[in-house]
Amino acid sequence: MVKAVVGEESQLQLVEDRLSQSSAPAQVGLVIGKLSSGLDRGFVYDLVPTPQNDVGQSACSVLEPAKDNRKKGSNSKPKSQSSDSSSSLVIDKEWVAEHARQVSRMMVGGINVVGIYVWASEATFKNSTMVLCQTVKGVAEAASLLEDDLDERLLIHICYSPRRWTCRNCTLSSNITSSSLRPCDFKMGRVLTSLQTFKCFYNFDLSLPIYQEKASKSETLVDVLRNGISNYVKELRGAKAMIDGNLVVNDEICTTNGLHEIELLLPFMKDMYIEACSQKDVVGIVNFTGSVCSFSFLNSKESISQAVADIKDDIIRSLLSRLDIICDEADEDAGTNDDVIKETRNDSLSEKPVSQLVLHSLRKNCNLSLPRRVFVPWLAGFKRPLC
Amino acid sequence: MEKNNRSIRIECPKLLITRNESDLQWLIGSPFFPPLTIISTFRCIHSGSSSPDFLKESEEIRTLLLKGLDVIGALIVGKSDPQKTAVTAVEAARNLRKVLSGKTNLENEEIIGAVADPDTGDIRFFVSENERSANLDLVNSVSYDANPEKFLWESGCLLLCQLPVKLPVCFPVNKPSDVEGIFSRAIEAVIAKLKDPNVVYMVEASNKASLDVVQPVILRGADLDFDTTAPNIEPLDEAAHSSEQKLLPCGHFCLKSKSTPHLFSAKNADILQVSVLLNRSEKSPKRSAPAVEYFPAMEETRLLIVDFKLEVLCYAVQGIPLMHAISKLIIPGLIDQLISMKQTTLPNLLTQHPELHPYHFCPPGIAHPVTVIYELSYGETEMKQVDARRSLHMRLGLPFDRPLLRIANSLDFSIKGRSSTSSTRKGSSLLKDVHVGIPSSGVSGGIVSLVQGSYEYYHYLQDGFDDSGWGCAYRSLQTIISWFRLQHYSSVDVPSHREIQQSLVDIGDKDPAFIGSREWIGAIELSFVLDKLLGVSCKVINVRSGSELPEKCRELAFHFETQGTPIMIGGGVLAYTLLGVDYNEATGECAYLILDPHYTGSDDVKKIVNGGWCGWKKSVDSKGKSFFLQDKFYNLLLPQRPNMV
Repeated sequence: MVKAVVGEESQLQLVEDRLSQSSAPAQVGLVIGKLSSGLDRGFVYDLVPTPQNDVGQSACSVLEPAKDNRKKGSNSKPKSQSSDSSSSLVIDKEWVAEHARQVSRMMVGGINVVGIYVWASEATFKNSTMVLCQTVKGVAEAASLLEDDLDERLLIHICYSPRRWTCRNCTLSSNITSSSLRPCDFKMGRVLTSLQTFKCFYNFDLSLPIYQEKASKSETLVDVLRNGISNYVKELRGAKAMIDGNLVVNDEICTTNGLHEIELLLPFMKDMYIEACSQKDVVGIVNFTGSVCSFSFLNSKESISQAVADIKDDIIRSLLSRLDIICDEADEDAGTNDDVIKETRNDSLSEKPVSQLVLHSLRKNCNLSLPRRVFVPWLAGFKRPLC
Repeated sequence: MEKNNRSIRIECPKLLITRNESDLQWLIGSPFFPPLTIISTFRCIHSGSSSPDFLKESEEIRTLLLKGLDVIGALIVGKSDPQKTAVTAVEAARNLRKVLSGKTNLENEEIIGAVADPDTGDIRFFVSENERSANLDLVNSVSYDANPEKFLWESGCLLLCQLPVKLPVCFPVNKPSDVEGIFSRAIEAVIAKLKDPNVVYMVEASNKASLDVVQPVILRGADLDFDTTAPNIEPLDEAAHSSEQKLLPCGHFCLKSKSTPHLFSAKNADILQVSVLLNRSEKSPKRSAPAVEYFPAMEETRLLIVDFKLEVLCYAVQGIPLMHAISKLIIPGLIDQLISMKQTTLPNLLTQHPELHPYHFCPPGIAHPVTVIYELSYGETEMKQVDARRSLHMRLGLPFDRPLLRIANSLDFSIKGRSSTSSTRKGSSLLKDVHVGIPSSGVSGGIVSLVQGSYEYYHYLQDGFDDSGWGCAYRSLQTIISWFRLQHYSSVDVPSHREIQQSLVDIGDKDPAFIGSREWIGAIELSFVLDKLLGVSCKVINVRSGSELPEKCRELAFHFETQGTPIMIGGGVLAYTLLGVDYNEATGECAYLILDPHYTGSDDVKKIVNGGWCGWKKSVDSKGKSFFLQDKFYNLLLPQRPNMV
């Protein structure tokens, strides 16, 4: 349970300045940071406002009570800073969740979408706890942290009068009740400058057999890959690691500065992702190979094994994100894509992107290149990949 | 002819030599020992008409012999011209070495040729310096060592590498004959991969005490030296201690304080655990973004997954650098075992799926462990398995009535297994071998003959069952059955009183009303139950009076020497278990090691020994009191060791 949260003062000050200058009556966005179950602490690196949705609507607006024909500054004060005590927030929960999904793909190891923030008055906030909790839940589902997922996320409230930051801890497991939100200690400090950087190149080489069985008859290439990765996760989690050439044995704190190189050591030819079977008919084999460049960032008090866990998470998330992107593209514009081959079936021509091909009925070779990962500088020099 | 400074060193109290004319035995040594040091012999069990079947012999010995040990000569039992016989022995040993190593040029290796006289057992040793000269040198200086364990384990250690390998093999359904070639290529690929620069070998101590102190060491494949032409591994200079990981010696992981001599044995040896890993972060020029390629099967294809559980044990001395232990012992060991498993699997690859599992044994009389691969799909008592064990017993010179190579006897290398010495039975807290360490009998000049192997002490009131006054023979029987269990002759649970009664009713010896009663049983009933439950037959000795027992001492001593089972003493009075005799043949003085089932206290060795519940009893004690009563008869039940392996 996260009991104390530290926010990066340099970033959050900028956010506060930006918010106080904005004319929006309310704003919602994502909290980027890290929750550490080992330390019972949370770290907030930055806040990212959720943009307007596809039809140009703000993700968040204030709903004044219906009987609102009182003159009380409704025109003269659009910011409505002294807004009615009965006003509440309307949040486009799906849109915020979609924002979280897309942002989480751009994160690296040890940096996640860990909750939402909201800019609203005290009263409006109080009247909107239900919708806020629902939004937090939606965000948590869309951007789930992979390993040892904490059952909680942050809800940061920036109140405009009086100007004040408060942080609450939102429990995800139970139904939303008054006890879902628990206050936790929030303070500003310097966290970005003390982050340690870890880098890892990871080469993988999966051979995924496509079985003759009925169950696999409708599997598309993406299904096969996604299954392959999820079976592979266990193997990767169990991998041993070396940091700067030294085997990670004890849970130590990393004391040296600079970029640390992680090497992952996997069992020799004990491929667990191949299911143990005696003999099965196969229709083909999918080779999934390549390298992933991965980064992870560690707070000064965290142990190095956390850095290794974060790197592993990042590798898995990077691979899954690339598949998601391919699927999104396929959904958006099937037929106009470059990665299309013509599939001849029943003498009718149908065009499908490679990722959506059903391998069982495919009788020819096909190739698919996954999106590449590019890192761009972000906060305080640390990088963020653009997929 | 003889070179002055040459001597044969034999690291066992005596060489086990067969007495059959023209039998051949391989002499085992190690490249880490001084030249001409023999530590054991393996019998040659596959012979053609005139010479050994080198291929078959090499296959079996390659599996059996740990890496770090090798064949250094041969011995032939024969009466004819020793010089000529020795030449034959040397030739055979050279041939075997060539087949084992796969090298054809072994010119400059010293080989021992020994000749044993079948009648006297005298052995003459000759040495051949190289292949080209037919000259043999007789070596007269031969020394035997009474404590070979110390020699082997004082500076030696074991390396253990467990490596499960999964091999996927795709083959065309309508051409199943192709599978053998595909499978063989897959094996070749694994062998090549073991030497890949991206493979990483992790070495760690398996001993709990050292595990906390010594960090694991990583050795990269790229740093290893696979040059097969390189000379034998040399220990590191003591002085030249290097901090470089790859030059660390094996001794880095070994416990430093090994002062107590009884700790010198393969079971207590320092074990270095070696894991094979693949570095997935190695820089390679082929690094590229993730990509997918689909290969459809051009014809009907089937996927076969072959599972191998490799487990290799190697012997090394502590001065050997780790990197050499890996490249010259562990990797060749893995490769040999893989090939051996491949050869077993290949003939019936598609129809049978043998579960091959390597086990390591340290049978008595041999100071070093041996490795055996068993097929687990069948039970241990299947004829095929019994035959396999029988031929191993033959090769190692082990008796054919001791199940020494059953899986339960194998060395247990798990950390848990090595730290606990308590009873193997789940939840069992019974005391074992309570007679160990008790005061001597006081028979002057006597020869002690004892039960061979462990037993559990069963006595009155155990497990909360009140059998005081009637259950002593039942308890003695339980102790005897526990002995058969612990020697692995049987896996039958030790029966309760009720189960003992039930089996007596089952065979028709008693009426059904007997079950649940508190009736005594005697030696004869015990023999029935042993026959029914274990198939064990017994010899019975009757004496009309306790005063006749000393006359039977020689027979009892012979029983303990040859059978080694606990004896039950029944008869007119109380029942006891007899664990040994101390007998002076000249004076006739004797004492009996009695385990008394009438003890009702808690399982506390001190209490038991101090109370005399387990101890030596003279026929007539210092106060003139007889232990065995003159006016009572006694039946002695001598269970016979089953003739099985």
